[in-house]
Amino acid sequence: MPLEAAARLVSELTSRGYNAEREAVTRLTAADDPRAALERVLEDVPDDVLVVRAEHVEAALATDAGGATHSDGPPGSSADSTPAVSTGTHSAQERDCSTRSPVETVGSSSANRETDPAVRSLEITGDMTGESTGTGEYSDFVSVFRDRLDRLGSKLRGRVNHRPATAIQSMPGGSEAAMVGLVNDIRSTASGHWLIELEDATGTFPWLVMKDREYVDLVDELLCDEVLAMEGTLADDSGIAFVDSMYFPDVPRTYEPSTADRHVQAALISDVHVGSQEFMEDAWNAFADWLHTEQAQHVEYMLLAGDMVEGVGVYPDQDEELDIVDIYEQYEAFSEHLKKVPGDIEIVMIPGNHDAVRLAEPQPGFDEELREIMSAHDPQIVSNPSTVTLEGVSVLMYHGVSLDEVIAELPEEKASYDDPHKAMYHLLKKRHVAPQFGGHTRLAPEEKDYLVMEEVPDIFHTGHVHKLGFGKYHNVLAINSGCWQAQTDFQKSVNIDPDAGFAPIVDLDTLDVTVQKFS
Amino acid sequence: MRAEDERYFERLESQLDDAFDVAERAKRRGGDPKPEVEIPTARDMADRVENILGIDGVAERVRELEGEMSREEAALELAEDFAEGRVGDYESKAGKVEGAVRTAVALLTEGVVAAPIEGIDKVEILQNDDGTEFVNVYYAGPIRSAGGTAQALSVLVADYTRALVGIDQYKARDDEIERYAEEISLYDKETGLQYTPKDKETKFIAEHMPIMLDGEATGDEEVSGFRDLERVDTNSARGGMCLVLAEGIALKAPKIQRYTRNLDEVDWPWLQDLIDGTYYDDAADTDDEGSDTDADADDEGDGNEEDAAADGDDAADDEPEGPPRVEESTKFLRDLIAGRPVFSHPCAEGGFRLRYGRARNHGFATAGVHPAAMHLVDDFLATGTQIKTERPGKAAGVVPVDSIEGPTIKLANGDVRRIDDPQDALEIRNGVEKILDLGEYLVNYGEFVENNHPLAPASYTYEWWVQDLAAAGADVQAFEDDPRIDLEFPDAEEALEWTAEYDAPLHPEYTYLWHDLSVDAFCMLAEAVADGRIRDETLILDYTEPVRDALETIVIEHRQRESEGHIEIDDWRPFVHTVGCEPRQTVADGATLEPEQAPTVELERTWTDDDLSERARTWGHEAAGDNAIEAVNEVAPFQVRERSPTRIGNRMGRPEKSERRDLSPPVHTLFPIGEAGGAQRNVADAAKHAETMSDTPGVVELQIGRQCCETCGTETFKNRCPDCNERTTPDYRCPDCDQRLEPDDAGRVECDRCEREGTCVETREIDVHDEFRSALESVGERENAFEILKGVKGLSSQNKVPEPIEKGILRAKHDVSAFKDGTVRYDMTDLPVTSVRASELDVDVGQLQALGYEEDIHGEPLTHEDQLVELKVQDIVLSDGAAEHMLQTADFIDDLLAQYYGLEPFYEFEDRQDLVGELVFGMAPHTSAATVGRVIGFTSAAVGYAHPYFHAAKRRNCDGDEDCVMLLLDGLLNFSKSFLPNQRGGKMDAPLVMSSRIDPSEIDDEAHNMDVVSQYPREFYLATREQADPEDVDVEIAEDTLGTDTEYTGFEHTHDTTDIAMGPDLSAYKTLGSMMDKMDAQLELSRKLRAVDETDVAERVIEYHFLPDLIGNLRAFSRQETRCLDCGEKFRRMPLTGDCRECGGRVNLTVHKGSVNKYMQTAIQVAEEYDCRDYTKQRLEVLERSLESIFENDKNKQSGIEDFM
Repeated sequence: MPLEAAARLVSELTSRGYNAEREAVTRLTAADDPRAALERVLEDVPDDVLVVRAEHVEAALATDAGGATHSDGPPGSSADSTPAVSTGTHSAQERDCSTRSPVETVGSSSANRETDPAVRSLEITGDMTGESTGTGEYSDFVSVFRDRLDRLGSKLRGRVNHRPATAIQSMPGGSEAAMVGLVNDIRSTASGHWLIELEDATGTFPWLVMKDREYVDLVDELLCDEVLAMEGTLADDSGIAFVDSMYFPDVPRTYEPSTADRHVQAALISDVHVGSQEFMEDAWNAFADWLHTEQAQHVEYMLLAGDMVEGVGVYPDQDEELDIVDIYEQYEAFSEHLKKVPGDIEIVMIPGNHDAVRLAEPQPGFDEELREIMSAHDPQIVSNPSTVTLEGVSVLMYHGVSLDEVIAELPEEKASYDDPHKAMYHLLKKRHVAPQFGGHTRLAPEEKDYLVMEEVPDIFHTGHVHKLGFGKYHNVLAINSGCWQAQTDFQKSVNIDPDAGFAPIVDLDTLDVTVQKFS
Repeated sequence: MRAEDERYFERLESQLDDAFDVAERAKRRGGDPKPEVEIPTARDMADRVENILGIDGVAERVRELEGEMSREEAALELAEDFAEGRVGDYESKAGKVEGAVRTAVALLTEGVVAAPIEGIDKVEILQNDDGTEFVNVYYAGPIRSAGGTAQALSVLVADYTRALVGIDQYKARDDEIERYAEEISLYDKETGLQYTPKDKETKFIAEHMPIMLDGEATGDEEVSGFRDLERVDTNSARGGMCLVLAEGIALKAPKIQRYTRNLDEVDWPWLQDLIDGTYYDDAADTDDEGSDTDADADDEGDGNEEDAAADGDDAADDEPEGPPRVEESTKFLRDLIAGRPVFSHPCAEGGFRLRYGRARNHGFATAGVHPAAMHLVDDFLATGTQIKTERPGKAAGVVPVDSIEGPTIKLANGDVRRIDDPQDALEIRNGVEKILDLGEYLVNYGEFVENNHPLAPASYTYEWWVQDLAAAGADVQAFEDDPRIDLEFPDAEEALEWTAEYDAPLHPEYTYLWHDLSVDAFCMLAEAVADGRIRDETLILDYTEPVRDALETIVIEHRQRESEGHIEIDDWRPFVHTVGCEPRQTVADGATLEPEQAPTVELERTWTDDDLSERARTWGHEAAGDNAIEAVNEVAPFQVRERSPTRIGNRMGRPEKSERRDLSPPVHTLFPIGEAGGAQRNVADAAKHAETMSDTPGVVELQIGRQCCETCGTETFKNRCPDCNERTTPDYRCPDCDQRLEPDDAGRVECDRCEREGTCVETREIDVHDEFRSALESVGERENAFEILKGVKGLSSQNKVPEPIEKGILRAKHDVSAFKDGTVRYDMTDLPVTSVRASELDVDVGQLQALGYEEDIHGEPLTHEDQLVELKVQDIVLSDGAAEHMLQTADFIDDLLAQYYGLEPFYEFEDRQDLVGELVFGMAPHTSAATVGRVIGFTSAAVGYAHPYFHAAKRRNCDGDEDCVMLLLDGLLNFSKSFLPNQRGGKMDAPLVMSSRIDPSEIDDEAHNMDVVSQYPREFYLATREQADPEDVDVEIAEDTLGTDTEYTGFEHTHDTTDIAMGPDLSAYKTLGSMMDKMDAQLELSRKLRAVDETDVAERVIEYHFLPDLIGNLRAFSRQETRCLDCGEKFRRMPLTGDCRECGGRVNLTVHKGSVNKYMQTAIQVAEEYDCRDYTKQRLEVLERSLESIFENDKNKQSGIEDFM
């Protein structure tokens, strides 16, 4: 059974500090005595090599053509290695799983990623690591919000005939007016109408949404500090305006996402939580093993949306529930787990709220010390949020702390933990990953608002809530990865049942999603 | 009641009547809200209970039951009455349960707090999933004031009544159980609980609770899971329910158990598991059996008990027997914060040693500490300082007791000395290198009864030994009468003589802490002693580290002379005998007989290591052979008892308090001035304030109650008509139709036509300038009589009746300030005292005699200042600060009477001696009843010493609680219900009623558990070795005299103390300046104390203080509000304009970098210095990097010097 054998080899390799290309593993498994072959390979590889490549195996096996004795082969059990149970209930199409290769097809050429690295492309935008220039002054905060209004406002200014708040205050009663601004306050009036205060760089103006108007339904979705435009009629005394229409920055309905030119896949995962007692090592290993199989041959990218480790001091008395108490050892362990992922898969990761970086967003990528620990697989470590463009397909990666707030503030039917992607739709509509200030989400002021979605992404990838969900909003694929951590006591106490041990795989040429289950 | 007690009370009451008459006359003349005194005198508790509940017949029944049983039992008895319809007129079962529960709470709180009416919203009957009915009790926030015991018992009473009226038990659904757990943690996070049960504990309780606990939503934050449950109305935390479950059931489980045991109808077998904490393992089992019926539950409960008993037996059989020891408990160390030192880790060697007894200033949740120890812990302990303690309770107030053993310290010069004199402690304090032992810690028997805590093994002390001696056949009386013999502190020869003559155990003075020494170390020490020599009656041992350590461990006085290579021990004979050595006189080389050379004494070891029995060799508690006491007893020629088998861990809680109660900012007059007075609320400024140039200065728009003169029809806001000087009445109007309304009998004002509540509050323009000037004129004062007169921004009472400014002017003149109800108050930490000396109270014998003290405690005539007299129950001792403040208040009252009411001055005090004999009110927070007290003297300690019954009448104990005193006439003249805030809880901490005399059976029954004997019997000490249940031991407690003639007297004590104010007057916590200084001192002390693990202290300070502070501030920073520096306007988010939208002023952050990282470097330094865990260090590292990331520019990092090299 090749998968089993491959898994052994991979873990053997990782335990010795090596990472391996899948092709290399395939060739090793194909050898008469894989274990002996492995030894020979490791003797031969140069000292500075961390990733065992196919050519190393080739070279090693060539130098010694015969002498291997036959040791006992791997047992035939395959019970724990049945991947590919798709739980995708959404728009995702069931991927054709029939390509799974039977044992007899094991050969030197079938299960590899024979891609010319030149075909791959991976580009990062919006990474603010090393660019944190804010010093926590009052003026830093003001600039962030002004930048937000400028950039998101520009998407709305063309749609309405807007005026500054101070200008509207001096317009005669009964006139038509429009304004673009940040939501400053939302409250209901005694008679059940809604009063929404919009703020721009000149001041604020109150807008009344009548309870019987069609727009009243949208009021439920509003979050403070998001940018929107309102159009309406001024009351007789010009002190207030009655809303006729409301506009969000939004994703155009006609948005056409870009796709890759070839059949290539990306695994979108998050929330590994290494170090936690609940970390599902078996599921992770099954996933890593599966990546070595032929079935995963098109998976060339892996995106990790935060919470690599369980962290320290995230909540009180956390040390009692940690498997690995030392934060550096947690990252070392994570790095070991990452090494099991084939070396020829490109990895991009952003930090989450459990990681050892600041909690306030945007969160810069890890510092040098942690990068050094995780260097074996050479992942790209960028800030939360960041946009990574894979062969033309742009993926906005954001850990997802604001989802808690969206789910708490919006009515159940509009956003819930069971359908995390629907909460993501609202963020796409607001074109901001964490609009509301002062609540759950923490903000670190920088010179500009890194949390704005300036460009529409093709894929929006989050994690954090430990629930799997995906779907499309105006053709943008929103996907919330599950996690690799079983239900914790805390989650039990708040009634959250996590989706653990799933790996959503996206076809970059079609943006279809397949979910692989490993638990 | 004895005739003299009757005389005492009559005297108090006649004094009270005199003051009352003056107050009534004054009130009739002044412009107060009511023309009479507003504090009624209550006859007894039964009256209060019935009045507060409004249920007829309760008072009568309460009086019937009162003599026969405890109040808890009476509450259960009344529950039966309610169930059977004998009391109360209830048709429904729910009504009966409700009546019973409310009555129970009222009864248990003596009818002095609002909890029975405001704390219980309603009781209703709901359905279980199986169709049976159950009871749901709705609690509200003010149930807090009932206290844990009453809260817990309200549940028991509800369950009992439920069973009697035939309703089924509540069967919680799984989601409801989980909800309880989530809600309790939410409430704890939001509001904080005294005790927070772990989730498992909460779930265990919720699962077994036979009635449903429900309540009003009290917080804004909502639970995130288990929302929208069918039988739970709200998604927010239900504060009342959380309190009842956590601080009631979870915390008071042992107390409830006492009563469930006696009731056949209710059975809470799970309480035992809760108390033992054994629900962790059983949780799974009980889950399965949760739906079983009562009977099964019973069986299960019984089974468990048997199992437990069997386990206990097994354990005893399997393991080798060892010395009796208490279990360690680390609870008291939780939430340790910076600046409050740990004095001893749980059960740690070198910590406070438990001694049983009650000093005269002791009992009722206090701990007796030697004053020398107070000084040696760098003054962190002072009289009244609260300590959190390991056992028997949770907290205690510290009292100085110098008749117990002081601490033993090692000085820098190598001397190891016991310090029994506070003066010595101060002198040698700078040279202390290590505190080897903190000395004794006095706890009275009653504490164990009150906390239902098994007796902990007693120290071997004089009180016990003298009874051992008597039991051995000695004529102790003869020894006591012999002036040449000091029984308590005999010399070594005498002590040895007695062991030989009577076969009694060795005197405790010469009994060392052998039980802390391992058997190996003991053998080593014996060998060292055998090698030692005697010179000038001093034992000289060779200096080696093991010997030194052994001597420090057994805490024997000695001198370490490391440089000379030896150790010296005086009084060596009992020590030498104890280690099984015999002194032999030898004459050195018979030839050279030099007369001046004393004969050498050689020491001979009479035993070898192999002589020890197996039992002695393996005797130990934690490890075999860690306790040498058995070995000692095998080799010593006399019996040696364990000197101090029980150590009690503790740490500092709150510091003591003796301070005037000021509102913040302080208020002189309850007259509203809006924003016109500025941030200072200065009335003089308001009188000159004008919003714009065109406004008249001093005219301010205010919300105020409208009054109407019945005679001439003038509208005013004053209580007297400015035109005709008649009393005015509130002018209620309907807010809709402006119809004039009259209040109905219940005091409610409603418009019949519009069905709206009427109000007399209106917004009107008040000429503050004119009011201020005319008030000054009417009392004949000039503005320079005071520095500043502060008013209030607005009134929060229902009718918004302002206080006459005149009162404020006179308060400002005498520098006293008003509380929200118009009274002047002084706060003090409560401490008990049952006998006092004139000398320590700064009074003379004549003054005491004038107050009715004629005899001392032995019945001798009172003639001398040093004689002890038994304190009368309502007499109190004021702290120096309180006396000073009372004098100021008295001057204020005199001026008020003369200049405002136009009467004669009442007090006319010249100095504080005049205060002696005057009446005051004692009044505790969360209660609504004041207790009359009489000043007897003064103390320099920053506390309020009074009879425990006086504190209990106010529903306080002395574990660090504080409450206030008011001058009698101040309360009578200036208190008005009309000033009280119109909100839930507004009526708390206000003297709605006063008790003129204390009835011992109507006070908090905690005081009844205080022991009142002069000696504990020998059986008691022996029983402590068995860790017996305190109830099984025969020691007289106050409860035993209740209802008898001697209920007010006979409070004897076992230990005297020289002065009730020894030790430092103020805790170092209050005298040290910054938090950093306090923390440095705390950590420094932790290094000095042998009983303290300094790493653990540092770890906890970081964990419970620095980290939460850093994390909290960092969180606050990234979601903060901003505020305008000019007008104070707050903004949820930074305005996009950058400037204030209201006034255009400068806006700035409310949380700055400085406030976020103020502890960062200190925390890192402490973690380094005290070698904290990596986990802690890493958390700090991660935080530090977060701070850098937020507050530093990546591109402009601060550069170090290496950048330029």
